[in-house]
Formats: sequence, structure tokens, C-alpha cells
Amino acid sequence: MHPILADTQKLLVYLVAWLLIALLLSALIVVPGEQAWPLGFAFSLPISFVYAFICLSGWYLCRAFPLQKTDTMRLLTVFLLSAAISSSIWVLLSSIWSWVLIQSGVFNVPSSRPIVETRLLFGIGMLLYLLAVAIDYLIVAFEESRDAERRSFQMKVLAQDAELRALRAQIDPHFLFNSLNSISALTMQNPKAARDMTIKLADFFRTSLKLGAQEFITLEEELTLIRMFLDIEKVRFGARLKFEEHISDTALQTRIPPLLLQPLVENAIRHGVAHLLEGGTIKLSTDANGRLLNVVVENPVDPDTPLSRGTGVGLENVRKRLHTLYGTDGVLSANSDGTRFKVSVTFPVRK
Amino acid sequence: MTTIQAILVDDEELARTLLREYLAEYPDVEIAAECANGFDAVRNIIELKPDLVFLDIQMPKLSGFEVLELIPHDLAVVFVTAYDQYALQAFNVHAVDYLLKPFTKERFAETMRLVRQRLQGRDSKVLDQLVHSVRQREKPLQRVLIRNGSQVHVIPVDQIEYVEAQDDYVAFVTKGKKHLKQQRLSEVEEQLDNARFVRIHRSYILNLDYLARIELYAKDSRMAILKDGTQLQVSRSGYEKLKARL
Repeated sequence: MHPILADTQKLLVYLVAWLLIALLLSALIVVPGEQAWPLGFAFSLPISFVYAFICLSGWYLCRAFPLQKTDTMRLLTVFLLSAAISSSIWVLLSSIWSWVLIQSGVFNVPSSRPIVETRLLFGIGMLLYLLAVAIDYLIVAFEESRDAERRSFQMKVLAQDAELRALRAQIDPHFLFNSLNSISALTMQNPKAARDMTIKLADFFRTSLKLGAQEFITLEEELTLIRMFLDIEKVRFGARLKFEEHISDTALQTRIPPLLLQPLVENAIRHGVAHLLEGGTIKLSTDANGRLLNVVVENPVDPDTPLSRGTGVGLENVRKRLHTLYGTDGVLSANSDGTRFKVSVTFPVRK
Repeated sequence: MTTIQAILVDDEELARTLLREYLAEYPDVEIAAECANGFDAVRNIIELKPDLVFLDIQMPKLSGFEVLELIPHDLAVVFVTAYDQYALQAFNVHAVDYLLKPFTKERFAETMRLVRQRLQGRDSKVLDQLVHSVRQREKPLQRVLIRNGSQVHVIPVDQIEYVEAQDDYVAFVTKGKKHLKQQRLSEVEEQLDNARFVRIHRSYILNLDYLARIELYAKDSRMAILKDGTQLQVSRSGYEKLKARL
């Protein structure tokens, strides 16, 4: 619906504007001296208000032909044509009304001529219609800018939210406490290894804080972080944890949101490899096909261990972030055949 | 001096190393076995009958809580875990102690003091209560664990067709095979997801997924016919519950 019709206050302002137009029209009739004021008003007021509503129809054309996206010739054609049609209808209705007024005999007028010259009225109708269209375009522009403002505000809020979630996700307490316990065990037995592990842990946290503060990082940077993470986990899991990556060189420079993939690898350990006596291999592969980047994390799972224990939460966070950043273009899918678990994320490439 | 036989259960080699190092200062404690997963833990605890078990919670095959369910309850259990404190507080009163990784030697000494206290007045009721509170918390059940000697069977609940009470035992029936476990049927009923499992009779809990139809058998007496043709008696109140579910 037209925004003027949807709001009583706006409608009132609009009709007051048309009241002024009606007064001008009356003056046009009366000032030349042939007609009296009562007839001027009786004629102009009704036809002005009728035209006020006819002109509102221009709104829908404004919506259908956005100013920036339509070429000028086309715009001119559309609006001159619709102005001519609207004005013709108006002139026709005015002539009928003029005829009714004259026939009624209330006003003392010579019946030979219409109250207003038809050609003049048609011209006025065209101008008024085009003026209404111009105002409609102003309203459209105003609403669009307000919408854009609201959207960008919403985006900011969501991005902040995702950042907080990412920060929370990156410092997994289990990971930290288990690593500290490993260090505690190593201090007596192998002090050098304990120091190495401390430094690895510090490096990992420092890097994740640095990357997490950025809006986008390269896939290469994310992979470096994942390798650091796996290095620490290997101290805990020993030979049980193996890692394979299949990354195409073209994908390395792709820009991705930070810490998007690390939680997937963490999940693969916590809910996959950690439950297997012999451990297993986590496979990470990427496939960049022009517009989209696809990343797959695959890990073996123990068929006897139920999947549910918290697997969903980590994945749900990643899914929400993808949605916030890319809308429907960001997709996460997960499936399991009982022995292997596979997560696939796809999102638009930004170089 | 009587020695304390202890078993260390943790899937991480380094975590076990640390326990070994701390225990070296207690000459009366003898490490009977080290286990890296739940199955091994159950087998070793059954065969070696230790006095004390240090038990990790997140492990391959069986969690620490599940191990607890499968072993006799006349021993002292200490949880050693990075699990969050709040989740463990519920069991605080029943386990001898819980150690949060990483922990100090002094904290460990406190644990050993509590262990000795507990071992003097050995009482299986304490662990019975612990198992009960774990069962209460881990609902609905996703798999049933059954021990046969030192063998452990894992039965996913969706394979259970029905559960039958048999004296002091309950029988979980899967594909016509019966697996016996020492437990009360009312307790099983509480643990299972009541959207799928219905107590249809004093002696039966039925998995709705395996129900084919219900037949009137005599006045006020009905039979549930399962997909494989098995017939189970349905009591009047059981029939009311079934009607409400279907």
C-alpha cells in the first residue's frame, strides 16, 4: 500500500496540499471574470480530491521502475504515458461533473461552454501527476536509506555477537585444562618438552586472539592456526591423532572469517578421534570453484558412541556465523554413515 | 602393612604418567594396572578387584560414568578430569573425591587422605548412590551397557524391542535375544525416553517402534503383537497409556 494511505497524519497533510491546489484551480476559473466563486469551489474541490487519489497510483510504477535501474527513455515513456492516461480520466470525470453542475441549474452559467478549457485542464492534470511521481520517488529514496541504515545496524550487532561467540569458542576450557595437565606431567619427566608445550600453547592463544580480532583472514592463516592447535593436541593424543590436508594452492589466499574452521577440527577430535582406541586421521580438504569455496572436514567415529553428546552446539555456532555473514549463500551440512563423520561448509569467495 | 591396589584409567599417556609420579610417594599403594579406555577398565577392575580406581570421564568406548555402572561398588573411586566443576558437584558427595586437571601434589595428598578414610569403612552403598545419581542425570538413556563376566555389551536403545522383568533382573530383548542385567524395571522405565518406551504391564516396557497392533484377548485383557509376532500382555492401565501415546 502507498505509505501516505497507511498513515492518517500523512494522508491529512497530503489532502491539505490538494486543498491548496483546489483553491488555485478555483482562482483560475473565477479570476478571468466569467464565473462566480461558489461555482469555482463547487467545481474544483471534488475534482481535486478525486485526482488526489488517482495520482497515488504513480507509487506502484515508482516501485516497479527504480530510478537507478531504469534507463531515462523508458522512464519518460512510462510516466508520460501514465500521466496522459490519468489526466484523460480526470478530464473526462471533470467534464461530466461540469455538465452535471451546469444542468442542475443551481449556478447561473452560460451552458454553451465547459467550465474549464479541456486542453488547459489536461495540461494541469499531466503536471500534477508528474509532480506526484517526483514526490513518490523522494519517498522511495527516503525509505531505502532508512532501511539500509537499519540493516547495517543489524549487521553490526550480529557481527559483534558472532565475534563474542567465536572468542568464547576459541578458548575451550577442556582443551586448556587438559593441555595444562600435560605440561604438569611433563615438567618432571621431560622439562624441555614441558617448555615447548608451554610455548606452543602461548603461540596458539596469541595467534587466535590476533586473527579473531580481524574481520577476514586468509585461508592460509586459518590453516596455520589449525596446525598449531593440532600440534598441541598431538602431545596429548600421541600417535592416535593423525592429520591430512588436501588444499589447492588457489584456495590459500581466499579470505574467510577467522576461526571458522578451527572449531570443526576441534569437533573432529573431541567427538571423533578421542573416542577411538586406535585414533584416526582427520582429513581437511578444500575445493575452490570460481565463486564458491568448499571446505570439508572428515573424521572417523566410533560406531558404538552416540553422536549427540554436544556435537550439535559447535556446528550450530559455525552455521549461525555463516548465515550472518553470507545469508543463504553460506551453507553447512553434516552427515555420518556410522563410521565416518563429514562436515562440509560452502561460502562465497572473497579474494 | 596392607597394600592398596590401584588402577589408573585415562586415555592420555601423560595424564597417567602424572598420577604414577604422584603415587610414587605412597609406598603402600601398588598400581595393579593402567587402562586407556573404558572396556579395558571394566575388564581389569573385574579381574583384578582393586581397592582404588582413578577414573577419567571422557574416554573412548565407555565414559567414566558408564564404567562405574558396570563394576562392583565396593571400591573407592576418584574422578580425575578436566570436566567442568559444576557438572561434577552433583556427584561430589558420593565419589571419594574428584581431581580437576591440572592439580597439585597437596591437592592429591588430600585425595589420598579421603581414600584411606573411605577404605576403612568400605561401604558399597556410597557407590550405589553415585550410580543412581548418574543414571538420574544421564536421561534419556541412549545405550544400555551389559556386563557378562569381564565382557561388555553395548546395546543402542533403538534396538531394544521390549524389556521384561525377571525376578531380580531385567531382560533387554533385541532380535529375539535376551540380555540380562541386575536392575529394577521401574528404574529402567525412568531412564528410557518415555515418548518411545511405554510400561504396558507390571513386567513389560515396550518400544513403540516395534509394535504392530493391539488385540482384544478377553474382557478387559489385551495383547500387544510385535512386528515379529511376539505377544505381550497389556494391563488395563498399560492400555490407557498406549492409547494416550498412539
